[in-house]
Amino acid sequence: MPKHIVRLLALIVVVAIFAFSAKKFLTPDTFYQYGHYRGDAVAEIASKAPKLQGSASCEPCHKKAYAEWTDGIHRKATRKNAIQGVVYKYGPNCEVCHTGPAGNHPSKDAMPLSVEDQVTSITHPEIKVHPANVPGRKLMLTPEEMKGVCLNCHEKMEARPKEQRQIEVASHSGEELCTKCHNPHSPRIIYASLPQSRRGSAQAGKIVAAVCSGCHGAAGMSVNPSWPNLAGQHADFLVDSLKAFKSGVRKNDMMSSIAAGLNEADIRNVAAYFSRFSCGVTGGDKAEAALGKAKAANCAACHSAGGLYGSGAPGVSGIPTWPNLAGQNAEYLASTLRSYQDGSRTHPVMTSVAKTLSDSDIDHLSAYYASMKCK
Amino acid sequence: MTTQDRKFDQQAVALSRRRFLGLLGKGMVCAGTLVSANSAIGSAEVRGGKRAYQQNDAQYTESLNNPPEIPDYNWNDHQWAMGVDTDRCIGCLRCMEACKMENSVQMDAFHHRTWVERYVYLEGSNTAIVDSQADPKNIENTGSETKFRFDNRYRNVKVDKAFFVPKLCNQCEHPSCVQVCPTGATFKVKDGPVLIDTTYCIGCQYCVQACPYGARSFNEVRGVAEKCNWCYHRITKGLNPACVEVCPTGTRIFGDRNDPESPISLFIKNNHVQVLKPEMGNAPNVFYKGTDKEVV
Repeated sequence: MPKHIVRLLALIVVVAIFAFSAKKFLTPDTFYQYGHYRGDAVAEIASKAPKLQGSASCEPCHKKAYAEWTDGIHRKATRKNAIQGVVYKYGPNCEVCHTGPAGNHPSKDAMPLSVEDQVTSITHPEIKVHPANVPGRKLMLTPEEMKGVCLNCHEKMEARPKEQRQIEVASHSGEELCTKCHNPHSPRIIYASLPQSRRGSAQAGKIVAAVCSGCHGAAGMSVNPSWPNLAGQHADFLVDSLKAFKSGVRKNDMMSSIAAGLNEADIRNVAAYFSRFSCGVTGGDKAEAALGKAKAANCAACHSAGGLYGSGAPGVSGIPTWPNLAGQNAEYLASTLRSYQDGSRTHPVMTSVAKTLSDSDIDHLSAYYASMKCK
Repeated sequence: MTTQDRKFDQQAVALSRRRFLGLLGKGMVCAGTLVSANSAIGSAEVRGGKRAYQQNDAQYTESLNNPPEIPDYNWNDHQWAMGVDTDRCIGCLRCMEACKMENSVQMDAFHHRTWVERYVYLEGSNTAIVDSQADPKNIENTGSETKFRFDNRYRNVKVDKAFFVPKLCNQCEHPSCVQVCPTGATFKVKDGPVLIDTTYCIGCQYCVQACPYGARSFNEVRGVAEKCNWCYHRITKGLNPACVEVCPTGTRIFGDRNDPESPISLFIKNNHVQVLKPEMGNAPNVFYKGTDKEVV
């Protein structure tokens, strides 16, 4: 055999030996174990630590919120418990709204402000993963952002199944924040108890009320039917009204100047003072009231004791920031509705509601609510 | 005519009829044998049920006798599957967000392991308008690529029919992505999911192109392909995948088909379900209820 052929063959053999040994050396032992892949990879992938911890992991520290959630509408077993044999878990768990994994906890980014203050002292040393380490990623830091979280699921939208509760933002709440009326852990529960700091002192309010009693009566029953009774009205609504006068959102020759002279504490105190009184029925034309009753079904969604969904005493609002209507002066109620109609007073919901009412509707409704018992 | 020419002529005649037919017959027998043998292999794979894609006898035996060492878990006992009840989906995209958190997927609208599409038939139209969270208008609506939300663009138009469809990797019985992977970086495990061994992925993206469902994406930062693996690290610990865990409406159903009482077994048994693009022959393991003709 010629020399150059021998050399060539030798070279091929050397390269082949090198290639085979390299493959032998570089291929992991487990590569063909279960197929054309590294067998060890399966266990490696499975060994990653889960980040979402589930709601049960929140319970030990956040007992109150957890209880609200478990008993509330955001945690139902299922509509009718089973659909075609399949039992569905139902409702968002903690990690859906609180920006994901408990592994990222307690983190200021992951918590709404109010909760954050309570949890900064707690540490979860066993969980060190930081799953959402994305710069600038912050959810639920402000109530405004929390509204966005609610609307992720509840904004009225084509393609959403009808069973899903959905709202038209503009007519449902306007600029109001969801949390003003709803407890996000169980949205059907209404925030009836505001923090103590927001409550005024009726004692202190008595001094301020001396100014008011000239028109609104010493016990909150107005001396003139075109002025509102304040007795038994929700303190929160009175506070909001006075603030609206003070800031100029609502305008009234008398009230604007009086409210301008009140400070924050005065407003709370005087509101607390008048809300303590028991209200009286002012009466109203009986025939008109009977007609108004039929029309009032529309108002009951907000202005009844059962709140948004339930039934209850008509004219007594379930939500403290909305006014009680029962026992209010008919004349005042009518003039208020007309002021919504002509735009001299505005409200995201009431403006559009008032525009659907005719003149006689307004008279009937006013008579109806004036004749209702207010307790 | 020379002798040679005559010889050639005779040969040609002999080939042209008797020999040709004979050869044709033999050829057909051979081809038939090959085809039947091939389909016999294919059907054996299906009938065995348990054998993972492209596994030979020795590897199959090995996976039975010597399964991967995962604590309290044996892949021979499970056959995972997912159901999607599109009638219940509200398009909140929490599944997508949870998936990104759980699996550290890039936090933008374009990289995802699971996503949601919106199908809208305008009044009188026979074709659907489809958009997803990656639609520029939806991104503009949230003002950020890291928040996922559908905008309300159909508020003032008349719509005949509209629905959301969550999508994810179908974990096919015959995965195209595994077939094309040159390095063995992606593979189908015995209990169902198709996994990626990121240490072996060279980032060639053949799999991204091969997938008929567009379920794979490429992570430019890590230089590897990414896909849903049904949170393999969760299901092997007895947890649900992240998207199933957070879904507030019960749209996603997950479970073990070996257990006749599991949610997925009941879901498949009690509903009319279908898979996406059955004509591709991939035999998906994600079962849809309530999808429409245009959903692929």
